[in-house]
Amino acid sequence: MDELLSEFVAETKESLAALANVAVALEADPSDRNLLDELFRFFHTVKGSCGFLNLPRFEKLSHAAEDVLSDIRGGDGTPDSPTISAVLAVMDRIADLCAAVESGDALPHENDDELIQALRRCYDGAEEDVASPDIPVPVQTVESQSRSSQASRTIRLPLALIDQLMNGVSDMVLARNEVARKLRGSSLDPELESVFDRLSGCIADMRDTISKTRMQRVDRLFMAIPRVVRDVSRDLGKSVELMIDGGDVEMDREMVEMVVDPLTHIVRNSLDHGIETPEERRKAGKRETGDLRISARQSGSQIVIEVADDGRGINVEAVAAKVVSAGIMTAQEVAQLSERAKLDLIFTPGLSTAREVTSVSGRGVGMDVVRANIERIGGVVSLTSEPGKGLVVTMRVPLTLTIIPGLILSAGGLNFAIPRSAVIEILHDNNPTVSVAELGGGITATIRNMRYSMIDLEDVIGVPRVERAGPRSLMIVRSAVGRPFILGVGHVENHEELVIRPAAPVVMASGIYAGMTLPDNGQPMLLLDAGGIAQAAQLPLISEMVDQGKGEDAAEEARTDTYTGLRFIELTGEERIIRLSLVERVEDVPVGCFGESAGRAHVRLGGRLLPCVGHVDIGMIPTDQREVTCMRVRDDRRELCYPVASVIDIDEVPVALGLAMPNGAAVGLVLIGDRQVEVVDSLAVLAAGGDRNDPVPVARCVIADDQDTWNREILAPLLAQAGYDVVWGADANTSGPDDIVLLTSGDEEVYEKKGAAIIRLRPDAAPSGPADMSICRYDGDALLQMISELGKRRATA
Amino acid sequence: MSGLYLLARIAGTAVAIRTDEVEAVVRLREMSPVPSVAKYVVGLAALRSRVLTVVDAAAMIYGADEAAPTVRSSEDLAVVCEIGGHSYGILVESVDDIQTIDAPALPVCGRVDEVWRRYAAAVIEHEGQPYFILSKASFFEGFLTTQAAA
Repeated sequence: MDELLSEFVAETKESLAALANVAVALEADPSDRNLLDELFRFFHTVKGSCGFLNLPRFEKLSHAAEDVLSDIRGGDGTPDSPTISAVLAVMDRIADLCAAVESGDALPHENDDELIQALRRCYDGAEEDVASPDIPVPVQTVESQSRSSQASRTIRLPLALIDQLMNGVSDMVLARNEVARKLRGSSLDPELESVFDRLSGCIADMRDTISKTRMQRVDRLFMAIPRVVRDVSRDLGKSVELMIDGGDVEMDREMVEMVVDPLTHIVRNSLDHGIETPEERRKAGKRETGDLRISARQSGSQIVIEVADDGRGINVEAVAAKVVSAGIMTAQEVAQLSERAKLDLIFTPGLSTAREVTSVSGRGVGMDVVRANIERIGGVVSLTSEPGKGLVVTMRVPLTLTIIPGLILSAGGLNFAIPRSAVIEILHDNNPTVSVAELGGGITATIRNMRYSMIDLEDVIGVPRVERAGPRSLMIVRSAVGRPFILGVGHVENHEELVIRPAAPVVMASGIYAGMTLPDNGQPMLLLDAGGIAQAAQLPLISEMVDQGKGEDAAEEARTDTYTGLRFIELTGEERIIRLSLVERVEDVPVGCFGESAGRAHVRLGGRLLPCVGHVDIGMIPTDQREVTCMRVRDDRRELCYPVASVIDIDEVPVALGLAMPNGAAVGLVLIGDRQVEVVDSLAVLAAGGDRNDPVPVARCVIADDQDTWNREILAPLLAQAGYDVVWGADANTSGPDDIVLLTSGDEEVYEKKGAAIIRLRPDAAPSGPADMSICRYDGDALLQMISELGKRRATA
Repeated sequence: MSGLYLLARIAGTAVAIRTDEVEAVVRLREMSPVPSVAKYVVGLAALRSRVLTVVDAAAMIYGADEAAPTVRSSEDLAVVCEIGGHSYGILVESVDDIQTIDAPALPVCGRVDEVWRRYAAAVIEHEGQPYFILSKASFFEGFLTTQAAA
């Protein structure tokens, strides 16, 4: 009996959620017979089931609704909005009753008869209306895909069973790893090895499949939205067209639960504050019906959920004024903020821009709660507002709560994990762009002119540092309140996909852990909570937020007329600067790799020869030095090696030269601080570094006969070396009129029709007659010259 | 209160735990320490694919800071049980036996050490020896109160 009852409740609740949308869709299109039937069937089923489960109130309610719907089905009246409202009210009551039955509480004592009468009344009213031609104009609503999902065959499983399965598979993975370790020690039997590999593959597949069982289509997340939109827009007297897209994206079911509330809140906000009333919209020259688009898509390991409206957008100044009047910031502080930072003020706790508290929003639960909820699950909320045109709220949340990409780091001899999403950047503390200062126990790290609060993880968790060779790592970490901070750790070990489990309350009580994980090595590890660490360390993050805004603006301003340059010392001793974007990397190259041939310097790097910047004399490298610091300079075509004495720093360099003074290697001088620095003539460097007879291929070469060995072995490499793309005859249908076709035999009509330039090659040294325009295939120079000429002719034609 | 009991020792004191509250008794080898949490949390240990939060029963009862007779066994025997959805390994000094005890629970007699009063509500006798009856509930409460104090 109990089992029957709980099954009934579970099923009814699920159908209710889906049917709210059906009811809303029916209101939009009262002529849709399928929707009406679906709604009718639901009440019919509920009525039937509760008859033998002895639930009289359920029965009475569903009976009344069924009656009305049955009459409508019979052609007596239309499902207009008052009727739908009454039906929805009955559905809500049934949901309440379900909840009561489920929790075992006393059933709520409310008068069902009133609802039933309301239903009858609406319906009777509707019947009278039939006489008048005032049939409601159907409002367009894009239907959610709830109905299509019913087509797939499913079974209901308790979540506990799935978790058990997950654990079982994790056990298997660990056992496999142990076997793998044991196998590595013993002498390898190839047969055993292949069997083990197969087993190993099966287990990996199984783990993937099991983790998919936790996934759920996002349309479940969207299920409640149409009802919310309908109810809220009716309450507010606004007309809204809802569009939902991407319901078939899948995400973790727990994640769906976590996102429902923030999403509903954002939708309510859009309806309440964003979309204007029909009159306002008319005045603003917009369509009376507002647009609300909700979409979900997967982007890497994240789900991007966007709520876009075409309402009035966020009035940034109003928000700023509110922040000032609430005493959260002073007017000066606000004035210093960048536009972005001002927009983000909407997330300030305790802020509501609604002029009055409406029934819909403005009850103190604001965007700050939305942001906090999303960030708690490792997500990000961002806003794009166009005043008068609309607002887009974008939520990016990870696919799953249980498997996250994490970084494994070591501090005080212990290993910890931190979510990859929390880390912005990792630097070594000996990096020249980093300076760390201590003042009264507090540590400030300045990285590229940005100041950050810094804390060493060992100090937070109270363990002694372990001395080890090599630099410590500084992680720039996102904190919950906006301003990132720097976490100093021993070093960062590696990066792994981690299965996260909740930690015991005694562990969570410390506030610096977010959970625990069991990596493949079988050694449990704690997951750090970046926000918690900042709090535990009592880092002053909020007041610094203002500085950040100012810094941003200043940086933006400065960026308009500067570029980033790398300052270095030439082997000859001059201090020069080069555009950082041209420098691919800086590396130390052993002296032995430098060589000279035909008066040109080159460097052997990783099995390749790279030209070395010509005006540097290798002889200047001190003989006692074993390695030379080299900058790898490249544009999209050329790559070369630029040996220097040392690299100093990265600077913002003004685009305008302080003193233009081209002298070959340098184009002039700029002032960096109070130093004068020569600016490298990048063009000259790249020009000097290239090959001497660098061809400029303007065409593709099509070799018609792709079966011929000579073509394959000799001709194609020759052309490729000269820099031309080689296409084989078999692919020639892709060839265009700009191609140059090389024929050794066969007919040329196909290519002539296309208007392609044709070069005929002959194996004999002498032409067969005066009309023979072919080129001897051993005359490489003539061939290349011909191709080049034809290419130029084509290009100018 | 008759039934199957796990007879163990915590810091020299004999205790009996109902076996239906215990999942297993395991010997833990490697543990990852957990810094900056309550001192009685010894660390995390992996039991197959599960992660146990390992707590030291003696440290919990006596408080880790006090010079209590925390005679912890060298072999790290842990009683595994699940409390509030989390798996714990409770380190005990030794596990002596599993016995069906067919006797009524007796009230605690004598002036029991202050620290034990919170956890031990009753005594059960087996072969003439008294044992404190420890229950998961009494431990769980212990966790909650200690956590609130932390």
